[in-house]
Amino acid sequence: MNFTENDIRRITFETISELGPGATPDVVKEAVRKKVETSSIAPFEASKKDAVSGRVILTSFGLNKPGIVAAITTALGKANCDIQDLSQKIMGDFFTMIMIIDITSSQKDLKEIQEEMYKTAEPLNIKIYLQHEDVFRYMHRI
Amino acid sequence: MNYKFTEILETIRMTEIEHFDIRTVTLGISLRDCHDRSIEVTKQKIYDKIVRYGREHVKNAKEVEAQYGISIANKRVSVTPISIPFDAFKMEDFIEIAKTLDKAAEEIGIDYIAGFSALVQKGMTNGERELIKAIPYALSQTKRVCSSVNIGSTKAGINMDAVNMMAESIKLTAELTKDKDSIGCAKLVVFANAVEDNPFVAGAFHGVTEPEIVLNVGISGPGVVLEAIKEAGNVDLQQLAEVIKKTIFKITRAGELIGRKVAEKNGVPFGIVDISLAPTPAEGDSIADILKAMGVEDVGAPGTTAALAMLNDSVKKAGLMASSSVGGMSGAFIPVSEDMGMIRAVQAGNLSLEKLEAMTAVCSVGLDMIAIPGDTATSTIAGIIADEAAIGIINDKTTAVRIIPAYGKKVGDMVDYGGLLGLAPIMEVRTISSKGFVGRGGRIPAPMRSLTN
Repeated sequence: MNFTENDIRRITFETISELGPGATPDVVKEAVRKKVETSSIAPFEASKKDAVSGRVILTSFGLNKPGIVAAITTALGKANCDIQDLSQKIMGDFFTMIMIIDITSSQKDLKEIQEEMYKTAEPLNIKIYLQHEDVFRYMHRI
Repeated sequence: MNYKFTEILETIRMTEIEHFDIRTVTLGISLRDCHDRSIEVTKQKIYDKIVRYGREHVKNAKEVEAQYGISIANKRVSVTPISIPFDAFKMEDFIEIAKTLDKAAEEIGIDYIAGFSALVQKGMTNGERELIKAIPYALSQTKRVCSSVNIGSTKAGINMDAVNMMAESIKLTAELTKDKDSIGCAKLVVFANAVEDNPFVAGAFHGVTEPEIVLNVGISGPGVVLEAIKEAGNVDLQQLAEVIKKTIFKITRAGELIGRKVAEKNGVPFGIVDISLAPTPAEGDSIADILKAMGVEDVGAPGTTAALAMLNDSVKKAGLMASSSVGGMSGAFIPVSEDMGMIRAVQAGNLSLEKLEAMTAVCSVGLDMIAIPGDTATSTIAGIIADEAAIGIINDKTTAVRIIPAYGKKVGDMVDYGGLLGLAPIMEVRTISSKGFVGRGGRIPAPMRSLTN
């Protein structure tokens, strides 16, 4: 769970009433920061990150050659993306792979992961597309 | 896996190869609270409001584009028909307002802003008359402003005085923008039964019954439909209708998703998805090619109107099933200059103005982006507008005329605007006169709604 502005405001008011007359701006600021840091939930900055998260579909295709799957999965692993499903086919000389990945726990947002994957695709001379799952759900499921 | 291999590849094929894109996300902004007795204050209010609501529009749309891997071709803004809140102003003031709109559009990074409009199907206020007089100057002195005037409706009939004024406006606009192949006329639409939530520029405006702000989306996928029809092969017409509907269903769903997400990011309510099939000059992104794939040798062959009617109807049926927010035009567009297949049909002599007019009776808009000789008589242009409006009001549908009497050009010449506006061969117009009829002025009474045989 991430802190919202409302959470911060609530914590601030609680701190002020706890401190009573000793509540100068600096003291309150310090106390609030401590509370946020110690409360084992993600810091406020995390919620400022673009809310794009959840499941993403990665499609890759191109001429088959060794090392494609390795390169893609390595890059995903580095970005802390969870591969939830994977399907792969060779059609003639062509390699096609579709993955469902969960990027919720990644430190990167979708845009950064997309850029990362484009970088991975280039030297392999393959195409990689990352699209949010919703677009497939909307188009193919009623 | 939740999705089949083929489903995922189908989506990728649509977006990457077959030109499926979201044609426009259009932010509708009400300017009804921007009036002031001083024109300077009014201009400031208009500018501030558009910039305030529109500042993040392009950025937000681009983010959604990346997220879903579906490109959004145009990010645009429509505003309240300018004649309504600013009725008290004079022609010079309206030109100033157009320049303000242009400046605001530039500031927020959009290519077109639409709504320099008036609704005069029944009659005209003084302000509306002033605005119509201002149109040629506004369009020639700005780059991004688009204008539309509604001159007829099923409930009111056709205002022939307004038709004549618009014909003059079109001629003057062509002359004032003669340096650029009369491009001003490409930004000027004459409507009958105009819709208030149309996201497609140049004819877009933010109707008076619309909310403070709204986001409408127009989708486009002629290339996708074309490929689906080709793939279906030699099937009968019912099966073909089925193929078209299935395809449209999918792209409408995607369109609605994108529209809702952009609206969400902008923090504004989502309005409608317009499921029109709008072509672009890109190869394969053509309505004419669809009609040819359906079986006519070229656009203009007998059977073309029937094929187009079926296409248009299938688009609507599938769109209505796919989304509960269908609105705008929602049909097939048949502009000439924006569709390579149409251009070729005109050049080959297969498609005439008269056949195009017949086709507009069964599709979504009207005589769109048609270039005609620069010396075409004003009364003839008025006659063309009146004919098109008559098709609209009798059939209870929207029709429009966006016609370009290209200054100094003759039949066989070309005008080339580049980009989405494309290029158009000058089409032949009959020179027998309409003057005696349109010159009578007044109003064609509203048509009856029963005994419709």
